Amino acid sequence: MYPDDMLESIENIAATRETRKQAEMEMLPEEAKAKLLSRFHPDYKESAFRNLRIGVNRGARTTHEIADLLEAFSDLDYSKIDLTPEYDTDLLVLGGGGAGVTAALFAESVGARVLLATKLRLGNSNTIMALGGMQASVDEHDSLLRHFCDTMAAGKQIGRRDLVKALVEDGPRVVKWLLDTGVDFDRDEAGNLLTKKGGGISAPRLISIGDHTGLNIMKVLKDEIGKRDRIEISEFTPAVELTTNESGECNGAILFDLGRKRHFAVRARAVILATGGSGRLHMQGFPTSNNFGATGDAIVLAYRAGAELEGVDSFQYHPTGVMFPEHMLGVLVTEAIRSLGAHLVNARGERFVNELETRDVCAAAIIRECENGNGVSTRFGKTGVWLDTPLVEEISGKGFLRNRFPSLYRQLMRVKIDISRRPLLVFPTLHYQNGGILIDEKGETTVRNLFVAGEAAGGIHGRNRIMGNALLDIFVFGRRSGLAASTKMCNEPGNLTLNHVYSYYDKLKSLRISSVARSPTLFPEFIVNKL
Amino acid sequence: MNNSKTVTIELEGRKIRVPEGLTVIEALWDTGHDVKRGVGCLSGLCGACTVAYLEKEGRKVKFGLGCHKVVEDGLNVIMLPYFPARLARYLLESMENPLMQLAEIYPELYTCNDCKACNICPEWINVAGVMKAAKDADYETATGHIMDCIMCGLCASRCPKGIAPQHVALFIQRALAKERAFPPNLQKRLDQLGSHQFTAEWDSIATMGDEELEVKCRRPEGA
Repeated sequence: MYPDDMLESIENIAATRETRKQAEMEMLPEEAKAKLLSRFHPDYKESAFRNLRIGVNRGARTTHEIADLLEAFSDLDYSKIDLTPEYDTDLLVLGGGGAGVTAALFAESVGARVLLATKLRLGNSNTIMALGGMQASVDEHDSLLRHFCDTMAAGKQIGRRDLVKALVEDGPRVVKWLLDTGVDFDRDEAGNLLTKKGGGISAPRLISIGDHTGLNIMKVLKDEIGKRDRIEISEFTPAVELTTNESGECNGAILFDLGRKRHFAVRARAVILATGGSGRLHMQGFPTSNNFGATGDAIVLAYRAGAELEGVDSFQYHPTGVMFPEHMLGVLVTEAIRSLGAHLVNARGERFVNELETRDVCAAAIIRECENGNGVSTRFGKTGVWLDTPLVEEISGKGFLRNRFPSLYRQLMRVKIDISRRPLLVFPTLHYQNGGILIDEKGETTVRNLFVAGEAAGGIHGRNRIMGNALLDIFVFGRRSGLAASTKMCNEPGNLTLNHVYSYYDKLKSLRISSVARSPTLFPEFIVNKL
Repeated sequence: MNNSKTVTIELEGRKIRVPEGLTVIEALWDTGHDVKRGVGCLSGLCGACTVAYLEKEGRKVKFGLGCHKVVEDGLNVIMLPYFPARLARYLLESMENPLMQLAEIYPELYTCNDCKACNICPEWINVAGVMKAAKDADYETATGHIMDCIMCGLCASRCPKGIAPQHVALFIQRALAKERAFPPNLQKRLDQLGSHQFTAEWDSIATMGDEELEVKCRRPEGA
């Protein structure tokens, strides 16, 4: 339940609802957008960034949080680790989200033996939290080229053309694969895939399964992977280091058994890193919508092995993360609510941005309002703006929110907040790592036999990702990397060594770099901030 | 613990004071439990953090999610992060009429006597209703409400007949999807892709300069 001071503010915004409904809100011209972003988007806050002092991307800009990890040593005492492999497999997949599972399924389907290791439970990932939908160009008013253009434009033209082309062109194909596997997407009366529009998307292109798209896809894939004989699953065993052979090619990993608290080595002919993003590093102190395990391990492991990174100075702050009640801090409120007409409203009851602008623009506009004193403060010292959910209920009819967004509705009803009657306090939440480890269109990195798929990969989304492209990305590049990695089945992996780590450490020492951080992080240090 | 208010709860069988306003997971962390197995998305979607609890003066054990259940004075709570449930092995692609084989794959479904013990879903799904519809072969109704299922398995933990409703429902969901006609709009796009009719367009993009491409991408109307 909202405290009294917030209820007062809620009355203020209810008072302007009628006038807001009548008025149009123009989309911002390009110049104004650029100015807004450079002043208020966290990616442009220079004091939050520094240049890397070591490694392939030496001199490149990244956040302090990531630089700290890349310039750090590991907690591991390597001399105590037995490098005799306990597992010897064709393909080692690290990560049990959509990208990892897809890669494993495709690799297995062409005959590879796969070990899939994951930090938490299989399927416990950001994939399940993809609510609104997945982009795939299937509508008759749409084209692959439009999808390509939208993706490039949203990413400020930084995305690699060949990767974006692969993304959009494989879209319809992976949708077919998902349908064949037993995933059911929403349909229209004619049996066509139902397509919807979203922020930054120029034609109806979002396909979805109610409001739980990622969850329902993951359920099916998880069910499917359990039925494949050549795939072995290892849960609660995060990777803490990659291994390389004498030629510097990737040939396995050191995993950590969380239960037994011991390390063990896995040898493989190829490795796919699909461990997702880095939201739990809480860049610049932002709350995050990410899974508990999203601590950017892939970047650390791959970078030490010599893989090139791209765009790790660009993150997506989803405009609408929950700011109140506090135990839900950072939890995502789907973009679909804005697509359906919910206004973003400041403390004075004014609308301040067109809600269908791209995510970076909406987020920057919210931050601007809060910094300019137009935000609403909570008793925990947080500030946000209102997402006028009752307006959606007015537009679409009574009971609409409950039926259309049952999960969100329930979550808030548990704390006695009825989103059909009261708005939600929101603020940008760290949502997605736009960059990552650079891949080619087969998913291979600059390190031989090391592949990356999903959020950990870089080069696709440029400096801003549009809604629905992440879910597509994990299947497209999961499939591509799984198939490409399987072609390495006749490789001779060689002996496991940690030579790359030793030389990386020697470099760190010679540069007199001493970071207090220890990496990979594996789990965020949880601070109960109400103490 | 500053001046903030505290509540006294019984956590994993231990009576202890914790700050008010914490979720069960936060309370576990706060009291030194190194919880990994029962933590996932922290957003109520992964189903890893299921808990069983008895409220102060409560008569009946209730169930919920540890990332959402906020502790209150007198709460008696444990984590229940996993419960054994039978997952049938089947290969959907090799099945002609998967729904016809439901009785072979999950025969225990037909022992359901509608006792409704499974109606404890943290996502408010009427699990008993889903099972009843499944038993009556009304599969569309059965799957109508299970999109919200997060596979936490709490329902299976309550079933005296050993049915795992989450797995039964997922099988029906997959089987129904397989039976559906292939979407015409997707078929059309796949045919276009198969006939390589976009090659010229892609070639032209490949040779474009950055600025030319930028202009094109801003105005995809002509695309």
